[in-house]
Amino acid sequence: MISQLFILSSKGDSLIYKDSSVRGEAGSDVINVFYEKVMALPGDQPPVVMNHGDLHFVHVRQGGLYWVATTTADSSPFSLIEFLNRLASLVKDYCGALTEKAVQMNFALIYELLDEVVDYGYVQSMSSDVLKNFIQTEAVSPRPFSLFQLSNVGLFGAETQQSKVAPSSAASRPIQSSREQGGKSEIFVDVIERMSVVIGSNGVLMKADVEGEIKVKCYMPNCSEMRIGLNEEFSIGKSQLRGYGAAVRVDEVSFHQAVKLDEFDSSRILRLSPSQGEQTVMQYQLSDVLPSAPPFRLFPTVERDSAGKLLMYLKLRCDLPPKSAAINLCASVPVPKGSVSMSLQLSSPDQSAALQLQTRSIEWTVPRFPGGTQLSALFKVEVPGLSPSSLMEVGPMVLNFELPKMTASGLQVRFLRLSPVQPGPAQRWVRYVTHSDSYILRI
Amino acid sequence: MQEWANQLCENRQFGSKMTDSKYFTTTKKGEIFELKAELNSDKKEKKKEAVKKVIASMTVGKDVSALFPDVVNCMQTDNLELKKLVYLYLMNYAKSQPDMAIMAVNTFVKDCEDLNPLIRALAVRTMGCIRVDKITEYLCEPLRKCLKDEDPYVRKTAAVCVAKLHDINAQLVEDQGFLDTLKDLISDSNPMVVANAVAALSEIAESHPNSNLLDLNPQTINKLLTALNECTEWGQIFILDCLANYSPRDDRESQSICERVTPRLSHANSAVVLSAVKVLMKFMEMLPKDLDYYGTLLKKLAPPLVTLLSAEPELQYVALRNINLIVQRRPEILKHEMKVFFVKYNDPIYVKLEKLDIMIRLASQANIAQVLAELKEYATEVDVDFVRKAVRAIGRCAIKVEQSAERCVSTLLDLIQTKVNYVVQEAIVVIKDIFRKYPNKYESVIATLCEHLESLDEPEARAAMIWIVGEYAERIDNADELLESFLEGFHDESTQVQLQLLTAIVKLFLKKPTETQELVQQVLSLATQDSDNPDLRDRGYIYWRLLSTDPVAAKEVVLAEKPLISEETDLIEPTLLEELICHIGTLASVYHKPPSAFVEGSRGVQHKRLTSSAGSGESVESPDTGSAAVSEAPPAVIPSQGDLLGDLLNLDLTPPTSTGPPPSAAPGMQLGAMDLLGGGLDSLLGGDIGGSPAMGAAFGAPPAAMPASFNAPISGGLDDLFDLGGGGMTMGTYIPPKTVWLPAMKAKGLEISGTFVRRSGVIQMEMTLNNKAMSVMSDFAIQFNRNSFGLAPAGPLQILTPISPNQSIEAALPLSTVGPVMKMEPLNNLQVAVKNNIDVFYFSCQYPISMLFLEDGKMERQVFLATWKDIPNENESQFQIKDCHLNSDAASNKLQGSNIFTIAKRTVEGQDMLYQSMKLTNGIWVLAELRVQAGNPNYTISLKCRAPEVSQCVFQNYETVLKN
Repeated sequence: MISQLFILSSKGDSLIYKDSSVRGEAGSDVINVFYEKVMALPGDQPPVVMNHGDLHFVHVRQGGLYWVATTTADSSPFSLIEFLNRLASLVKDYCGALTEKAVQMNFALIYELLDEVVDYGYVQSMSSDVLKNFIQTEAVSPRPFSLFQLSNVGLFGAETQQSKVAPSSAASRPIQSSREQGGKSEIFVDVIERMSVVIGSNGVLMKADVEGEIKVKCYMPNCSEMRIGLNEEFSIGKSQLRGYGAAVRVDEVSFHQAVKLDEFDSSRILRLSPSQGEQTVMQYQLSDVLPSAPPFRLFPTVERDSAGKLLMYLKLRCDLPPKSAAINLCASVPVPKGSVSMSLQLSSPDQSAALQLQTRSIEWTVPRFPGGTQLSALFKVEVPGLSPSSLMEVGPMVLNFELPKMTASGLQVRFLRLSPVQPGPAQRWVRYVTHSDSYILRI
Repeated sequence: MQEWANQLCENRQFGSKMTDSKYFTTTKKGEIFELKAELNSDKKEKKKEAVKKVIASMTVGKDVSALFPDVVNCMQTDNLELKKLVYLYLMNYAKSQPDMAIMAVNTFVKDCEDLNPLIRALAVRTMGCIRVDKITEYLCEPLRKCLKDEDPYVRKTAAVCVAKLHDINAQLVEDQGFLDTLKDLISDSNPMVVANAVAALSEIAESHPNSNLLDLNPQTINKLLTALNECTEWGQIFILDCLANYSPRDDRESQSICERVTPRLSHANSAVVLSAVKVLMKFMEMLPKDLDYYGTLLKKLAPPLVTLLSAEPELQYVALRNINLIVQRRPEILKHEMKVFFVKYNDPIYVKLEKLDIMIRLASQANIAQVLAELKEYATEVDVDFVRKAVRAIGRCAIKVEQSAERCVSTLLDLIQTKVNYVVQEAIVVIKDIFRKYPNKYESVIATLCEHLESLDEPEARAAMIWIVGEYAERIDNADELLESFLEGFHDESTQVQLQLLTAIVKLFLKKPTETQELVQQVLSLATQDSDNPDLRDRGYIYWRLLSTDPVAAKEVVLAEKPLISEETDLIEPTLLEELICHIGTLASVYHKPPSAFVEGSRGVQHKRLTSSAGSGESVESPDTGSAAVSEAPPAVIPSQGDLLGDLLNLDLTPPTSTGPPPSAAPGMQLGAMDLLGGGLDSLLGGDIGGSPAMGAAFGAPPAAMPASFNAPISGGLDDLFDLGGGGMTMGTYIPPKTVWLPAMKAKGLEISGTFVRRSGVIQMEMTLNNKAMSVMSDFAIQFNRNSFGLAPAGPLQILTPISPNQSIEAALPLSTVGPVMKMEPLNNLQVAVKNNIDVFYFSCQYPISMLFLEDGKMERQVFLATWKDIPNENESQFQIKDCHLNSDAASNKLQGSNIFTIAKRTVEGQDMLYQSMKLTNGIWVLAELRVQAGNPNYTISLKCRAPEVSQCVFQNYETVLKN
């Protein structure tokens, strides 16, 4: 049960405050109490639940804002966190963006939403389908909406500039304004995967996990049903082996509750009536096994040269299919304490590398790394008093990258059908991307 | 609109910069004046904008209550948007302007009848939020209508409104019969209504713990399970949480509920998943372990828990805290999932630390190689806290999985070679523990450790190193030099190091007496004469006296063989764990504290416990676990590093004597076993008693300063222990005041009042017979009907003289318990017939069951443990005693007066647990566990008895005894 709810700006100003249950007398100084507590939080302490006397704070940060719920009872932090995250995305759906300004300008709308969403601290419904029946206030857009504003390039990186991919800002607009603008009917289906890999120093794949989700962003008010077809060979669980071939397998799947699964078992079709705005239709994960080789491997040589310098020769190979490429690759290698400076040699001119003394690591960046190729770098690090045991402090290498137009699990959207058949040029976008979550190459 | 919103921004920024209050108030006045005008404008749009501005000011904390009448005037509109805004304003200010709020009542009542269900719901929702007493009376009629509204949206809002109203005026809600309506709504056709009704009832029930409001029976459970499939995710949470409070009748029912709850595990909302896990974890206790379904269920629980770890870090953290509990309770669920707990480099530190903790708990022989490889990697990371914990984890692995110890030690040595200061220090601390677990195995590494002596700057590491030097002094050639080097700065060391240094030097002296005499004298004088720390001084004196009186005994005391340390020193205490399992997915599971520790006490938080299936052979109750631990884990649990005082006590606990087994060996062992039950206090007492004969012998003549109790006979000491402050302090039996059993009206003028007494083993019925008639009464006789415990008059009723009018006479009738037996309802009911010269009269009365408690109702501890374990768990019943302000000792004394004997007491986290027994005249034993929390007037009592029907009676008796 929620006692109070508030949204604070990053500076601690109250944007929205609601004593949602009218339980108790706790005044609005809770906001100050909360802000002081958050600011005073040391790094190793979980910010998840904080208490002040009988009052417990649960908060999340989204869009640079603090979304805070308080409770006095022994209620479930899961539902509070879920609730706050959903609230943030609901506000985003309704106001178009999650910024301090958008929240300020739409406070009346947000209060109205809160009224419908929570009653006496009980969460009622957060589905935009249900809510649209009740909400009266119109959203105010912070700036005139422009489809072609490309300054806001987010998730999809450099590739979004290309004409065949919709710019990501296209999806950040209020769901309701589409009614009055009669704007373009559009639907986005994003398959987003995050990959965690650990490769041991001997080159053995020690851990490989993929977490994925299918997100639908719908701006098509008259679309009553959509069907998303997945790979026909898609299977769930470890035991279900469906012969050979290019089977796509995941361990565990969960679906949004609006998804109807009657056609899923037979033909791997998800049927749903999309709500306006964004929703995560399906989440899945795959652990321990990757359908293909991990995208990067490292061949390191680390030694102490005769002059007492630390010598690192790193060879990084990209095992993606030749037509694909990783972009915005950034590798970071910790170096021993007391490292002073570094000289380097890189295999191609577009790469760069630098010794970051603050983080005690070398940052090596590669803007584009095509499949089937190999990069190498030689780093000579000056470490006064380098001892053999300091070599243990080198590594592991951490990679951050993005694999556009690829899914690590192999999941594909076979088709996307809308009914009733949309008149005019309905835009349907299917996008794939894989991010590195935690990609570690041990040295 | 955008314009004024921008203006609002600027104002705010201005306000925060300028603190000149004068300036600020003047603008506000002007602003309010303007707003007033706009609010009274004729144009709807303008009105709406004005109300919005008012609310904007309200949000940033400005006082706009002056506009109350003007805003309320805008209420009567058919524009829904405007109406909603006005209602929002009303909610905020109605409390500070109660008189004004009355003005709005009419509109509320009218809106509750509006054609538009949205408006009806809006009105009923808002009314409940206005906490003004005067309004509540007007609220009842509209609320009653709305509870039966045709539109489910209105009904679900009205259901919540009942909870709101209950919070304002509970009596009113009961009087108006809203609770019954609410109960009916559980069967509503709309799942949303059901969910809200359940939520409201659950909350109301919390403030009446015994009211049985949420009358959970198989029918309602079935309804809830049906609604579960249909309602929104948030509704599912309410329903699942409510289900978790239900106790299924048997394992079949529990299985069928589990089957219907299991699909929730794949829900996308983690709160639903966790609530489902809670229900399953709880009901699983009821299932026999050999059932196929049990295995299936275990398998189904793993994937959803793993899935939670791919959520945001905040959720991950909360999930990990819960998984930590689940792993302690049922490690088998996640035993194959070790890899998901490997840390990612980009996890926040608080997630990393939790994962590490779970990794250790899951470590086993099968996966230890993998775990060690991971831990070694972690130990070279950048974050200091994490590295420290990783190094400690390696040590814990060594202690937990014997096969891995060697590898762990070599890993630790590798890490010491890195010479990273904090890594070395942590490694030394854990190596000390490894030495204690595997004596005489890894001492070859001592030389390496000694090389790093200088770099240690943390007290814990210094103390650990000193301990190692002292313990293995005979193998370290320059042990005396090493210790001497520490001694130079003795006064600058922390207490921990000082204590350890003292002990280590004494050990060294006992091992190499010739070379180190000077050193030991130096440290003893430093500790006793130059230190003002009482612990240090006392320990110094003890050593001093030991060494000067009998060095041989000193050797046996100081160098005694130490018990091995056990692997899991940080497990959560089993009773607490059980309670926390019942609170999975709540704040309690994140804090790892029971809800009573952080939720305000007035809410009447009930302690929840798991109920397990009969004959599953699994120990669930706390005393059981204690005894199980005795048989399964022979190495006694001793405090981990640092607790030197405890160390000393443990040394004393195993009295070494050279002349065969000491006479106290048997009780000593017994005490050791009881320790687990009796807790800290007993172990202290037990230590003294067990140790005293041996020590007495060792000291020869006890020094004059020795406290007198040391000289007391052993048996006396043991008795003391068993009585726990009983003896002379007994307060005597509680005698209930006389009550009128037979009113004069019903018995032609004869009034009988009376009570029951137990005096030195004799039960008596004490009566006052009062003649209120006009004639003399004589020829009295008495008879009992058959009753539950065979009470019968032991002799005739002795009333020798006739009773004249208005005279009263006292009579005492001794009772025996050998009469005919028939079960009565209630159990302690007694039907009596009294005859006199006028007529025969019948009455019934209830005797306190403590009349039947025998004087020899004190059970032996072992017998208690065995019996507690032996009685099936479904025979256990739990009650709450409210508003009792005694502390546990006073309670124990009082109860002893009624032949309720305290067998043991233990204190866990400020909560005293009294284990008590009593014996009824017909040979039935009743065992009790009374939990008393300091500062909390509510006691919890668990009763176990082979004849569970007496529990209710016994509980009532507790209540009356404790409260009088």
